[in-house]
Amino acid sequence: MPDPSSLVQLEALTKTYREGDQDRTVLRDVSLQLDRGAFSVLMGRSGAGKSTLLNLISGIDLPTSGHVRIGGTDLTTMSETERTKFRRANIGFVFQSFNLISTLTVGENVRLPLELSGQTPRTDQDRARTMLERVGIADRADDFPDRLSGGEQQRVAVARALAHEPLLVLADEPTGNLDYETGQEVLSLLGSLVQDTDTTLLVATHDPEVLPRADRVLHLRGGVLRDEVPEYIGTSRQA
Amino acid sequence: MSLLQRSSRRYLTRHPWLMGLSVLGVAIGVAVVVAIDLANTSASRAFQLSAETVTGTATHQVVGTGETLDDDVYRRLREAGVRPSAPVVEGYGTLRRGDRTFQVIGIDPLADAAFRPYLGTGASGDLDLGTFMTQDVALMSAPTAADLAVSSEDTLRVEIEGTTHAVAVAGLIEPRNERTRRAVANLLVVDVSTAQRLFGQDGRLSRIDLLAPSDDAARAVYLDGVRRALPDGARLQRSDTRTETVTQMTEAFDLNLTALSLLALIVGAFLIYNTMTFSIVQRRGLLGRLRALGVTRGQVFRLVLGEAAVLGLVGSALGLLLGVVLASGLVQLLAQTINDLYFVVEVSEVTVAPWTLAKGALLGLGTTLLAALPPAREATNAPVSTVLRRSTQEAALRRWAPWWAGVGVLVMGGGGLLLLGTQQSIWAGYGALFCLLVGAALLTPLAVVALASGARPLLGRLTGVIGRMAARGVVTNLSRTGVAIAALTVAIAATVGVGIMIDSFRGTVSDWLEQSLQADVYVQPPSLVFRRSTATLDSSVVRRLRAVEGVAGAYSVRRVRVQARVGPTELVAVEPGPETEDIYQFRDGRPDTAWPAVRTGASVLISEPYSYRYDLGVGDSLRLQTDRGQRPFAIRGVYYDYGSDLGVVLMSRSTYEQYYDDRGVSGLAFTAADTTSVDALIADMRASVAGLQDVLIRSNRALRETSMRVFDRTFTITTVLRLLAIAVAFIGVLTALMALALERRREMGVLRATGMTPPQVGGYLTLQSSLMGAIAGILSLPLGYVLAYVLVFVINKRSFGWTLQLSVPADVLMQALVLAVVAALLAGLYPTWRMARASPALALQDG
Repeated sequence: MPDPSSLVQLEALTKTYREGDQDRTVLRDVSLQLDRGAFSVLMGRSGAGKSTLLNLISGIDLPTSGHVRIGGTDLTTMSETERTKFRRANIGFVFQSFNLISTLTVGENVRLPLELSGQTPRTDQDRARTMLERVGIADRADDFPDRLSGGEQQRVAVARALAHEPLLVLADEPTGNLDYETGQEVLSLLGSLVQDTDTTLLVATHDPEVLPRADRVLHLRGGVLRDEVPEYIGTSRQA
Repeated sequence: MSLLQRSSRRYLTRHPWLMGLSVLGVAIGVAVVVAIDLANTSASRAFQLSAETVTGTATHQVVGTGETLDDDVYRRLREAGVRPSAPVVEGYGTLRRGDRTFQVIGIDPLADAAFRPYLGTGASGDLDLGTFMTQDVALMSAPTAADLAVSSEDTLRVEIEGTTHAVAVAGLIEPRNERTRRAVANLLVVDVSTAQRLFGQDGRLSRIDLLAPSDDAARAVYLDGVRRALPDGARLQRSDTRTETVTQMTEAFDLNLTALSLLALIVGAFLIYNTMTFSIVQRRGLLGRLRALGVTRGQVFRLVLGEAAVLGLVGSALGLLLGVVLASGLVQLLAQTINDLYFVVEVSEVTVAPWTLAKGALLGLGTTLLAALPPAREATNAPVSTVLRRSTQEAALRRWAPWWAGVGVLVMGGGGLLLLGTQQSIWAGYGALFCLLVGAALLTPLAVVALASGARPLLGRLTGVIGRMAARGVVTNLSRTGVAIAALTVAIAATVGVGIMIDSFRGTVSDWLEQSLQADVYVQPPSLVFRRSTATLDSSVVRRLRAVEGVAGAYSVRRVRVQARVGPTELVAVEPGPETEDIYQFRDGRPDTAWPAVRTGASVLISEPYSYRYDLGVGDSLRLQTDRGQRPFAIRGVYYDYGSDLGVVLMSRSTYEQYYDDRGVSGLAFTAADTTSVDALIADMRASVAGLQDVLIRSNRALRETSMRVFDRTFTITTVLRLLAIAVAFIGVLTALMALALERRREMGVLRATGMTPPQVGGYLTLQSSLMGAIAGILSLPLGYVLAYVLVFVINKRSFGWTLQLSVPADVLMQALVLAVVAALLAGLYPTWRMARASPALALQDG
């Protein structure tokens, strides 16, 4: 029986793709609950189904069977538009390749989710400035993304993911395109921000350096999810 | 402005060339449509205005069986108490000064004021009625007089049907408003007796104007009284009947021009589709990110349509401006064509009708939005998670190519059904043509895959790996290359189709002229309307010419306009000589029985367009209004005739004289005696009529050449439209190739990084664009042929009723191939230049 206090509840998710004449099952009977404010890591090799699982959790894609509930809302029964609206209000994204909108300035990129969720321009601007200050690049607000380094771009992505105070942040290989040090900086920034705001974070990665920061580590192999409690659990989480 | 709109705006401004060219494509398309519409409207407005000016307030007119009626009818009406009524004699003349055509209207100043008060001829005016009614004097518009530097009491030299008359200016008409100014700008007002002298119509009137009471009952009684007072051969009609007839005359002609002008817009639509699709493909990632951030499909859809709307608005606005400028050039061409073919019209200015502009803007915007719909839909399907790359999209498109081709075949089939299901509708004909073009565009991707794959080994053998890559590139970038090639194919095919059509038409007319011009010398008075020479040869000229030594035979032709039950009809009365049977080629009927009947009795032949227009054939009876009342004539044959799309009824001179009082001659054909050279005969003829009416005496060859020159002139507008469609297609290929180049910077960077020199990259791209051009050229040939077939056998037939011989000239086909390759090559130059210069490092980084 799912725990109603959990923010994310996945019930027996299966995702099958049709490739030519054959079916390929990427996820098999995945069930999972993530608590509010938890920092979870989803490990797995390339092609293990990590991105697919993130797409299902965010409502970008629909499972072949099973249910996805976020904060009690079942995404699998919603229309595409409803899911999109739900996503823009409740979920933040950080991608491996930053995925900033090249035609918007840094400040505008951070304001975009706020504007989409219908906030007033004034609130937008204040909130965006605060977020950019928190990630330490307020001085670049008027620059276009292509003028920024990779680390800076990912900071903007983090600011954008959290600007509209989502319930859940999904990060897909957030350090994949960064050098070790920059990656660590971005991770610690992300970690501290979600901790401060009590936001639930799920990071999909195969970077073991992320593990010490996590409350929980999930392994995805051959489409099957295994839950592991890190051995350092009980000690304080790195921030 | 929302952030999404801001993002859109920046995307557009970051690609100024692509967007600029798309805007230009829409602009040219809209400009052509607007220009043709404005030119058409201006010409018909000019005609309407001049018709209204001379009609004035008249509600009804009494007209004769032919062009004129006896002025005794006017006396009878006055005696019967029909008042107000006013006699009118009208025609056209050319003013030597300024070489301007004027409408000459002869009026009775005492009776006319109720009808045309603005002419200032009433008793209260300051006109010297004594002079006006007894001498050769005229009134003209004051602004026109100022334009031509003519002052009151100057003498004008007016040429009418080859005779020059001196007419003094007796007064100037001061127009009270702009409408009157335009209406009287090309008008010469003379007394009715002066006009009779000028036009050689002693005792004849063009019509009698009447003013019926506005009350229905009173009007019925009044009209009944008029009818009773009319003798045989005079008819009562509403005064707007004339304008309606003229509108009907040029209806098919106007429609065809409009349809051709739409062609440029259709090619422009391909351009917009191409640009918008490119912008979507290029932004697939960006759109995917926006979708991940919560932008809904609807928002993406509106975003893309919004961008298209901006391009459409800017393009349409620019197109309207260009259209007005283009119209001022086209209107003269159009007026010339109308003058050559239908009636006299002097168009001095372009009437910029707000409705035309609104229509142009709506059409431009609508077409743009329609063309942007598929890309906008595609944008909503941008994969949110950004895992799907373009190569998979391209692969999907290749897989779908056969399906698209299937849909294309269905669309073409739909066009075929449209043709089979309708008999006469010209719009259905163009609808089928449109289906054909769209169907062909849908077939293009599959054809591109097949042709490019086929060309790959050949190019490989000729130019090695670069050639193979170039061919493969056309297939792997099918979403770009397919549309570009389709646009170029459609445009080139249109030029091939129109080219073949004109050539077939020209060939048919040339053969027909060869067949029908069998005499040695032709004489006719100069006419303002080339194809409808109804002017009359002076009887003394006719007498003298017939008597010239060396004339072996002479045959007269009389052309008049009479009223048939089916409508106004051009009647040709000929003297059937021994060669006549060779001159007229029958489509229906038997010459051996038809000619004897035509020679001796109430039988006629009708031309093919006449038969088509009024659905008449051999065995039918045609009722003509004659001077002996309405009479039936048996139709004995339908013959080929390319002289008039309005159709002609032919009867023998003896029959004509039996039913009509007119004894005039419109033209003469002579055969030279065996011992006389044609040139010498012409010289003798010219000498014999020197000082009399100025007539055109031409040899068989000269007349044929003049006819062909007029033929070519009437197709000038078509040729201009064809060139404009090519210009839009050229811009289409340019944008497509530029888009391709921009999009493939990374690929080029990789090629450069792996050791390809800039000339090699350039060669690769040039080869690829040439290949695209060649594919378009090859595809355009069969499509062009089918278009020509539909134009010749459906559109022409439905518009004018002509049977043309389809001939496919090799040079039109060669031109098409060369044009396609050169357009693609030229269009490939800039992207090639840019790509070859691009730094590989930058290109790699950008990817």
